[in-house]
Amino acid sequence: MTSSGHYARLRLAARYSRPHSASVLARPALDPGTAGALERAPAGANAGAAPLHLFGLLLATGGWFGINEAHAADPLRDVQLAEVDALRGKVADQVHLAAFDLIDELVYGWTNEPLFESPTPVVLAGVTVPVGLGTGLEAQLEDHLVSVLTQNPTTNVQLVHCPACTAVVVHSGPEATLISRGIDDPAVLAELGAATGKNALFIDIEAEGTWLVLRARVTRLTPDLPIVWSHTIATSSSVPSLLREPDALKSAAEARQEYLDALRGRGRVFIPARLAIRSYKGPGDGGGVPPPPFLWLESGVELSPTDSRAWTSSLLVGYTFIPQAYQGLLGHVRIDRLVTGRTRSLTHPDLYAFFGGSVITVWGPATASFQDEILNADQLLAAAAGDGPRTSFGALQVGVDLRVGNRIGISSFLETIPDLANSQNLGDYVRVFGVGFQSLGTEVTFWF
Amino acid sequence: MSLFIDSDAPAQFEAALFNLNDPAPGALRRKGWSNNLECERLDARTGSRRYPGEIRAPASRGGDVESYTVVCEERLLRPGLRDPVDDALLSELEPMTTALAETSASRYPELGASTWLVEVFVANPQVATKVSFATKNALMESGLQVSDRTPTLGVGDLEVITRMQPEDAYPTACVRWFATGSLGPNDALLAVISLDPRETILHGGLCVAGRWAWLQ
Repeated sequence: MTSSGHYARLRLAARYSRPHSASVLARPALDPGTAGALERAPAGANAGAAPLHLFGLLLATGGWFGINEAHAADPLRDVQLAEVDALRGKVADQVHLAAFDLIDELVYGWTNEPLFESPTPVVLAGVTVPVGLGTGLEAQLEDHLVSVLTQNPTTNVQLVHCPACTAVVVHSGPEATLISRGIDDPAVLAELGAATGKNALFIDIEAEGTWLVLRARVTRLTPDLPIVWSHTIATSSSVPSLLREPDALKSAAEARQEYLDALRGRGRVFIPARLAIRSYKGPGDGGGVPPPPFLWLESGVELSPTDSRAWTSSLLVGYTFIPQAYQGLLGHVRIDRLVTGRTRSLTHPDLYAFFGGSVITVWGPATASFQDEILNADQLLAAAAGDGPRTSFGALQVGVDLRVGNRIGISSFLETIPDLANSQNLGDYVRVFGVGFQSLGTEVTFWF
Repeated sequence: MSLFIDSDAPAQFEAALFNLNDPAPGALRRKGWSNNLECERLDARTGSRRYPGEIRAPASRGGDVESYTVVCEERLLRPGLRDPVDDALLSELEPMTTALAETSASRYPELGASTWLVEVFVANPQVATKVSFATKNALMESGLQVSDRTPTLGVGDLEVITRMQPEDAYPTACVRWFATGSLGPNDALLAVISLDPRETILHGGLCVAGRWAWLQ
């Protein structure tokens, strides 16, 4: 391959210049917009000292290293490309919050240990995202970084605009003519004044397996380009984003402690307040009169052996009163089991299944139906004239409870009353394995 | 991104009995789904510390049987989203570059006061940028002075060197870098090289005062 052939490739590759030009030269046609210093050969190239990057050129020769560009020639169809683009967008959506977290962590570190003793101008030289994701994510991250830095002036990092740093500049010297980003050209850097910023900040975020890694470095913009600071932080794909407030950054350790506090902070003892309605199934044609629905107000204590609240148990007492109809007292125990996961969720509803038992005593004119025999007219009149009968019975119940944040929940249950299993005043809503459930109830519960 | 926890009972036991929480491909798991997981076996103490609320802490007493949890995490980027070789290189970027930097620093302690430069020769330019960034950070973390400067060569040198075999080209380039002043006597150039596009490891070479040495 002749040198002119190399230069044809170089021109394609070198829209912007970055120090690692070698690989740009290896696949110039694939990625013309990415890194790569362009150096134009002076006239009489053999005699000149044009600073071409050596091994980029070597790689560009391909066959010498056995490099092929097979993947560049993959004939992906339009549909496949569209699918890949859609997938990129989806992944970027998932990654960007974690990337925001890393940037927050970086800036939080600077608030604790400022990079500079006094406010110092810094050029944001580059933000790069995981290979395979698009430049839209770069813009998002850059915006977020600027936003967080602006809201945390104690970092002493003052972002400045440096057109000469980021623009493509042409610099002619005695040795060669260079076309590159200003930030990659030592000669340009040497001419930069203090007003344009003396440091450049580079941010790189990369997906490495299950880890998202952020690397940052600050380079002093002098011809020697010394790196004065660098840092690497990472987060795992299984770690939820902290979603920190930009103006109230906190460390990951503090955020973790807050999370643990949220898990544990409410303790293992709850005070529930519950409003329950029990309705009773009538016996059907030719039967007696079923009891009216009962409205119960209950409260007590709910305990959990672990912070995960996978199991809970509760003991409640209740009272019901409808003037001229009935009054009642209730004692109720229940064991709940979380069925949607192993620990209660802070963000999603939790579904519990429960089993419990009640002891109920009721009295008043409307409670006469809690007996086995069919009520006759005399009994009804007698009950209406006086305090009515007093009846006590036990009940067993099963049901489900949907809770949100363990603060509020709605539940539904079926109840069987063994003492009244043969009552001619009650029917069964459902029979399971020979057990009839005469009562159907719903509840709304608040936990304090 | 999600966390997939296999079991907090003895992993093999539950997997064998129910095969529901086993991350291996099977009747209920697609192979592609399983391929996208990276799994790690944790004891209960470590697991509960790392995933509080997700994995139960070991019982304070009565725990005769040590329980383990196989924790699987999905990779951030699905297979097929980027070139497999690039993906292999990038997935091991941190350990590879850290090892390279540590090897350099420990094998040549006399270069502790030198200014280190990094050049990367990898096919994909984006990957090369990533490798360079990671290598520079790794060198900085090893306590070395690192520069963003890029050594250059004249076109005449390139005309010759591009026709040489790699075994000769890199040492020759090293000589020329030093001779032309692109690398000074106090500079050490760490070259990170992919010798074959099918390789998923990177080689390291060191150029100091015109002398070239392969690190790995």
